Amino acid sequence: MFGYYFKLGLRSLRRNPLLTALMVLTLAVGVAASVSTLTILHMMSGDPIPEKSNRLLVPRFDNGPLDGWAPGDEPSDVQMSYPDVANLLKSGQGERRTALFGIAGPLEPPRKDMPAFISSGMAPTRDFFAMFDVPFLHGQAWTEADDARAADVVVLGRAMAEQLFGDADPVGKQVRLMGSPFTVAGVIDHWNPRPRYYKLVGGNTFGDADDFFIPFATAIRHEADNNGGMNCSSKREPGYAGLLASECTWLQFWFETRSATDRRDLQAWLDNYAGEQRKLGRFKRNVPARLYDVMEWMEELKIVDNDNKLSVWLAFGFLTLCLVNTIGLLLAKFSVRASEIGVRRALGASRREIFRQFLIETGVVGLAGGVLGLVLSFGALALIGMQGKEVAAMARMDWQMLTMTFVLSVAAAVLAGLLPTWRACQVTPAIQLKSQ
Amino acid sequence: MLRMTNLSKVYRTHMIETHALRGFEIDVREGEFVTVTGPSGSGKTSFLNIAGLLEEFTAGDYILDGVNVKGLDDNARSRLRNEKLGFIFQGFNLIPDLSLFDNVDVPLRYRGFNASERKRRIDDALTKVGLASRMKHYPAELSGGQQQRVAIARALAGSPKLLLADEPTGNLDTQMARGVMELLEEINAAGTTILMVTHDPELAVRTTRNVHIIDGQVSDLVRKTPSLAQTPVTA
Repeated sequence: MFGYYFKLGLRSLRRNPLLTALMVLTLAVGVAASVSTLTILHMMSGDPIPEKSNRLLVPRFDNGPLDGWAPGDEPSDVQMSYPDVANLLKSGQGERRTALFGIAGPLEPPRKDMPAFISSGMAPTRDFFAMFDVPFLHGQAWTEADDARAADVVVLGRAMAEQLFGDADPVGKQVRLMGSPFTVAGVIDHWNPRPRYYKLVGGNTFGDADDFFIPFATAIRHEADNNGGMNCSSKREPGYAGLLASECTWLQFWFETRSATDRRDLQAWLDNYAGEQRKLGRFKRNVPARLYDVMEWMEELKIVDNDNKLSVWLAFGFLTLCLVNTIGLLLAKFSVRASEIGVRRALGASRREIFRQFLIETGVVGLAGGVLGLVLSFGALALIGMQGKEVAAMARMDWQMLTMTFVLSVAAAVLAGLLPTWRACQVTPAIQLKSQ
Repeated sequence: MLRMTNLSKVYRTHMIETHALRGFEIDVREGEFVTVTGPSGSGKTSFLNIAGLLEEFTAGDYILDGVNVKGLDDNARSRLRNEKLGFIFQGFNLIPDLSLFDNVDVPLRYRGFNASERKRRIDDALTKVGLASRMKHYPAELSGGQQQRVAIARALAGSPKLLLADEPTGNLDTQMARGVMELLEEINAAGTTILMVTHDPELAVRTTRNVHIIDGQVSDLVRKTPSLAQTPVTA
């Protein structure tokens, strides 16, 4: 009977075309408002690496001074000092681990006709590429030996590689970075997760992909400046060596554990490490070490701010208003169908069948609203995207949101249809048939 | 086919009680063509609605083709209505945005017949009423008499045991009314029991039996036609 009722629903769209158009438009506008705000929230807050997001963990210590600290306070800093990062890299904890910081500097193309230009990149360890499932177009990540001896090797982003070498495979070729020749080890394929969850501190959260990656140790050896935030709450000696020895926090760190249950072991190790550092007098504050997985870290750093959440609530409030309107329109549409309901009841339709028929009809209205809502959503997202490049990157609809549009529209219509449909079922056939 | 015993129907509001039927007794045998007459407000329509399972009764018993309908839920009543009854209304009650084919299809859909069976039955029913060639037309494209024929085809398509007709010729001119009446007589002759409410005394005398209702009760007016004279009939 579903097919029969669906066909009747389609036919019913043509009846009272004005009323139908109003209903479809009302639903579509409400759905478009909800879907476009939800799309942005979804792009901002969705799990960027669902298959392992609970195994990628950010450790957090508090190496701040006793001033301004009260027992019970949580760690106040979101980055780490070099001594801690160096210790964690040596720890052998987790299956993989990487420190990282942003770097920027002049990049000299191999072609003499191209001028040098400033580009931005990252300095992680080799593990970074496997930890974050980075796809390679050419070559591969540098080796562990490269990490160990701080070799001058570079992995290029695809856009940068094409800019420098065209379509050719540049593996083994050289580019000059920070005044030294670096050998290209690999080229990353299209990879630009948004938000850039692997480096959420230091801006550019929704920005473009990195131009290049060099080993963490190499960046340190070259005394590369940190292209990001730094927090120094105690005295430091001058120079790069002073920075490395200081308690300034400017680095980020990730562990990957073999399984989610290994997190407990890692936590125990970190607690132990923090205890040791307190004994050594490095850590002044008695703050437990913390661990965050990807989603917890995004939540902790408030990647999705309250304005985004509020706009979604407002949009859904608007959708509710649209639904109330749709209920009224459906009541009007169904009220003129009383005689048809009477006839169908007389001819053998139970109340349940009438309920099904009219609910499926509202579902068809919902589908039509979904189609128009989708068009309007694309329009709304295009408008939102015109506000800037970062916003444009968020204002893209994926298949999940596409499906969501239809589900939302049909669900909204069916919800709005419940009362009118229930009323339709209550039609007393005897009265309707006689009143013809 | 249809037996009501000591049946009553009371409409209650918070102010008053109205007895539409009281101590109502009727026994319609298979193959009969019974007309129901009576003044306005006598209970004809209540009787027809109860007979058609469109309304519940207050007390008494009602056996329809061997099934005691008392206490049946909406699903069971709907199924019974679909399988055993056919309806013809004064106002035709065709669904305006369905073609004739689709109108006749409605009860067959609820019966759950497959597509080929439904098509065969629709063809047969529309052929029987002489409108097979217009099955793709819509009700508004037909005259009143033709619309009533479609309604008859719709009522017949499910091969009901009992046809309930509520003033089927009330909205038709004399010629069209005669045509519809002849069609009903043909259907009755082919074996379908018919129960028809009418105001028209001329029609009443043409049928097997006339049941006259006054004040919610059956009066003792009984007519017999020669064709069924051997069947003892009591109202």
